[in-house]
Amino acid sequence: MSELWSRIEPLLTGIERPVRYINSEWGSSHADEPYKVALVYPDVYEIGMANQAIQILYERFNVLQGVSAERVFVPWKDMADAMRSAGVPLFTLESCRPVSECDLLGITLPYELTYQNILEALDLAGLALRSKDRTDADPIVIGGGPCAFNPEPVAPFLDAILIGDGEDAVADIVAAHRASIAAGDSRSATLAALALVPGVYVPSLYEPQIEGGEFKGMTALPGAPTVVRKRVLPDLDDYRSPACPVVPFMDVVHDRVGVEVLRGCARGCRFCQAGMVYRPVRERTPDSIVRDAISALSCTGYEEVSLTSLSTADHSGIEEVLRRLTRRLDGTGVTVSLPSLRVDAFNVQVARLLGGGKKTGLTFAPEAGTQRLRDVINKNVTEEDLLRTVNQAFSAGWRRVKLYFMIGLPTETDEDIVGIGELVSRVFLAAREVTPPAERGGMKVAVSVSTFVPKAHTPFQWEAQIPFEEVRRRQSLLRSSMQHKGIDLSWHDSQVSFLEGVLSRGGREVADVIEAAWRGGARFDAWTEEFKPSRWSLAFEAVGIDPTSIANRQRRVDEALPWDHISVGVTRAYLRIERDNALAEKTTPDCTFDGCTGCGVCGSSLVANVLAGERRG
Amino acid sequence: MAESTFRLRVKYQKAGRLRHLSHLEVVHSCGRAARRAGLPYAVTQGFSPHMKVAFGPALPVGTAGLGEYLDLWLSSYVPSGEAFEALKAASAPGLAPVQVKYVAEREPSLGAALTIAKYEVVMEGGEVLAEGLTSSFAAIIAEGVLAVDHKGKPKVFELASALPKEPDVCTIKERTTVGLAVRIGERGSLRPEALVKAALTRGALDGRIMSVTRTELLVEQDGSWRDPL
Repeated sequence: MSELWSRIEPLLTGIERPVRYINSEWGSSHADEPYKVALVYPDVYEIGMANQAIQILYERFNVLQGVSAERVFVPWKDMADAMRSAGVPLFTLESCRPVSECDLLGITLPYELTYQNILEALDLAGLALRSKDRTDADPIVIGGGPCAFNPEPVAPFLDAILIGDGEDAVADIVAAHRASIAAGDSRSATLAALALVPGVYVPSLYEPQIEGGEFKGMTALPGAPTVVRKRVLPDLDDYRSPACPVVPFMDVVHDRVGVEVLRGCARGCRFCQAGMVYRPVRERTPDSIVRDAISALSCTGYEEVSLTSLSTADHSGIEEVLRRLTRRLDGTGVTVSLPSLRVDAFNVQVARLLGGGKKTGLTFAPEAGTQRLRDVINKNVTEEDLLRTVNQAFSAGWRRVKLYFMIGLPTETDEDIVGIGELVSRVFLAAREVTPPAERGGMKVAVSVSTFVPKAHTPFQWEAQIPFEEVRRRQSLLRSSMQHKGIDLSWHDSQVSFLEGVLSRGGREVADVIEAAWRGGARFDAWTEEFKPSRWSLAFEAVGIDPTSIANRQRRVDEALPWDHISVGVTRAYLRIERDNALAEKTTPDCTFDGCTGCGVCGSSLVANVLAGERRG
Repeated sequence: MAESTFRLRVKYQKAGRLRHLSHLEVVHSCGRAARRAGLPYAVTQGFSPHMKVAFGPALPVGTAGLGEYLDLWLSSYVPSGEAFEALKAASAPGLAPVQVKYVAEREPSLGAALTIAKYEVVMEGGEVLAEGLTSSFAAIIAEGVLAVDHKGKPKVFELASALPKEPDVCTIKERTTVGLAVRIGERGSLRPEALVKAALTRGALDGRIMSVTRTELLVEQDGSWRDPL
C-alpha cells in the first residue's frame, strides 16, 4: 500500500525508537483523497503528538470533502542520517508518501528553538528552503501556531503563514488553493489569492523598508492587505473538541486526551504573549466539555483526560465540570487533570476534586519575589494568597509544591531577587508548620527560575532583555539567598533564553542566521543536550548580525517593529498604556471579572468574551 | 482480588509494523484497547487505582509474536465470544486478539506458567548457510554451555535446560528459517538472535537475520508442553 515503506522498514532496525515512524495508531486517518495535506511538526513524534493543535487541524482537514491530511514529524538525527544515506525523502506517516507530493504542507511554529528543524524538514523533503526558490510543481508551504505572531525570522522559508485560530481558516485556505489549481494559476498567482484569505500573511508580498540601517516598517505590495489581522474563532463551541484523536503507541509527552475548555486569558500578565494574542476569552459550556471528554475517552481508551487552557481554573463552570466528570469516571481508574493552577485557595478545592487519593504535587507561578514587581508585571497574586494556598494544600496532605519565578523582569533590582529567596523561605516555613513532624522529611519545595524574554505584542515588547553575564550574576545572587534544605532550585539555561530572545523579536534578516546555523549542524536545539551555543555564534558572525542588538536593546516606543503589520487585535496604544502602568507599578484588572480595559480586541474583530456563566471573582 | 472477578485470558499477536513496539508500549496499548472495547474491567484497589491486567513474558522491540498472552480481570461476566469481538473491533490489526478464554482464578500467573517459547528466525541465505548452521548448532549443543553478551555483560546458559529442543533449520529458495524452542527461567531466557549469532560466528558463516518471530508460548506440564488456553 505504501510507496516508501519497503525502503523505510530496513532503516528501522538500526535506530532508536522505531515506533516513531510506523504509524497504524488508533484514530489515524488513511483516506486517499485528491487534495493532500501534510501536517508537519518541527520536532520528533513524541513531542508533536502531544500538541493539541495537530489533533484539531488533523480532524478539521480530514472532514473536508476531497481532502486527506497526514502527519509528518521530523525524524531524530539517527533516522534522518539513515534516510539521507539511503536516499529516502521525508514521508507522511499514514501512507508513507513523499511529503513533496502533497499539495499543502502545514508547518507548526510551536517554539522559536524549533526553527532550524523547519529547514531540516524542508531539506529532507527535497524542497527548496526558501519560498522564492520553489516552483509551480512544489507544494504550498504554510506556517501557523504560537510563533506566527512575529513570523519574520521564518518568513522567507514559508509561502504563507496563518495568523491566529485555524479551525475555520483551513477550509478557506484549501478552497483558495484548490480554486487556483483548477484555474491553472502560477505559484505567484496562488500566493496572491491566499493573501486575500482573512488571517493569511504571504511574506513575499511585503518588503521590509530599511533606512540608514534601521528598520522602518513593512510595505505591502499591491493587492496585499496593509495589516494582516489574526483569525479568531468567535465561539469555541462552534466545533467539538476532537471526538477521536489519534492514540500513539509511544509514550509521548502529555500522554492523555486533552479537551480544550477555554481559549484566551484576560488576566493581563504583562510579560505573557499568550495572554495578549489569544484574546478574547472563549469558554466552552460545561455540557460540551463533559460530552467531549467522555466521548474522547471512550473512543481513545485513554486513562487520563486533561482539561487544557491557559488558565483552566478560571472557567466559570469548572467546579460543575469536575464534579460531573469525576462522578462519571468513578471506579474506572480514569483520572482528570488540569495543566496548571493559579495561586488561590479555590484551586486547592479544585485540586482536591481532581485528586481522589492522589496528591502528586501542586504548581504555582508567583513569577516575582516582591509585591512591587508583581504589580509591575500585573501578576495579581499577593504573598498572603500564596502562603494561605500553601498552608491549605499542605494541611490537606500535599507534600510537594513547585514554584515558578522569572528573573530579568523590567525594573527588577537586587532587592527583588533576594525577595524570591525570602518568599520561598516563607513558603517553606508555612508548609512545614502544618506538616506533621514525622512527614517533614518528604516535604519538597521546587523552585524553577527562568529568564524573562520580552515578546512581541506585549506591553514589554520594547524592553531590553538583560545580557547573560547579568543573568548569571542575578542567578548567583538568588542561589546565595536561598539556603533551606528541602528546597530544590533549577534554572533555565541563560544562553537558550538569549537565543529565544533574538529569534522571537528579530526581523526577516534573522532567517539568514537560522539557515547558517542549520547548515552548521543545528538540529533539535529545543533539546537541552543538542543545544550548542557555538553553532549560533558562528552563524551570527557569518551573517554579520549582532544578536545583542536584537535581544538586549531598549527600543523607542515610537520605533517600527518587525511585527507591526501583524494585528492580534490588542492595539499598540493599549500596550503603551500597559507599559506606562507597569512602570508606575499600577495593576489592571481582568475584564472577565471587572469591566472592559480597552485592549481593542473586541472592537477590532467583532468578537467578544464568551463566558459559560459568571466567573468567581 | 475481590471474589467476583472473571479472569479472561487473551491470546494476541504483535505483528507487522507493530512488532517494533516495546513491551511497555504493548502494555499501554492493550489497556487502551480494553477500555475502548467497553469491557467491564476490574480496577485495583489502593492508592492509585488502575486496570487489573497481567502480561506474559516481554518481547523485545522488533520481534513479532503470534501467540502472546495477557490476563484481564473483568468485574462482570461477558460471554467470551462477545468479549473477543469487542476487543478485536477496538484493536489495531497488528496488535489484536487471536482467541480468548476464561481461566480459573487458582491457575498460576502467566509469568509463572509460560516457560517455553518457540521462535522462528528468518535469514538471508540458502543451502550453504543452512548446512553451516546445522553443524554449528550441533557443536554448540555438544559443548553444553553458551556464553552470550547481554547488554555488555556476559551471561552463561546451560543448554540442556535453556534449549530444550534442537533447532530445526530449513531452506526455501534463498531464505533459511531456524525454528527453535527456549526455556524461560527465573534469570531470563536465551535470545534466539544470540544463539544464531553464536552459530554464525562459530561456522564463519554469512547470513543476515531478517526477522524474528515468537510463534508460541507454552506451559510445561509433566514433561509435555501444552497451550495455555
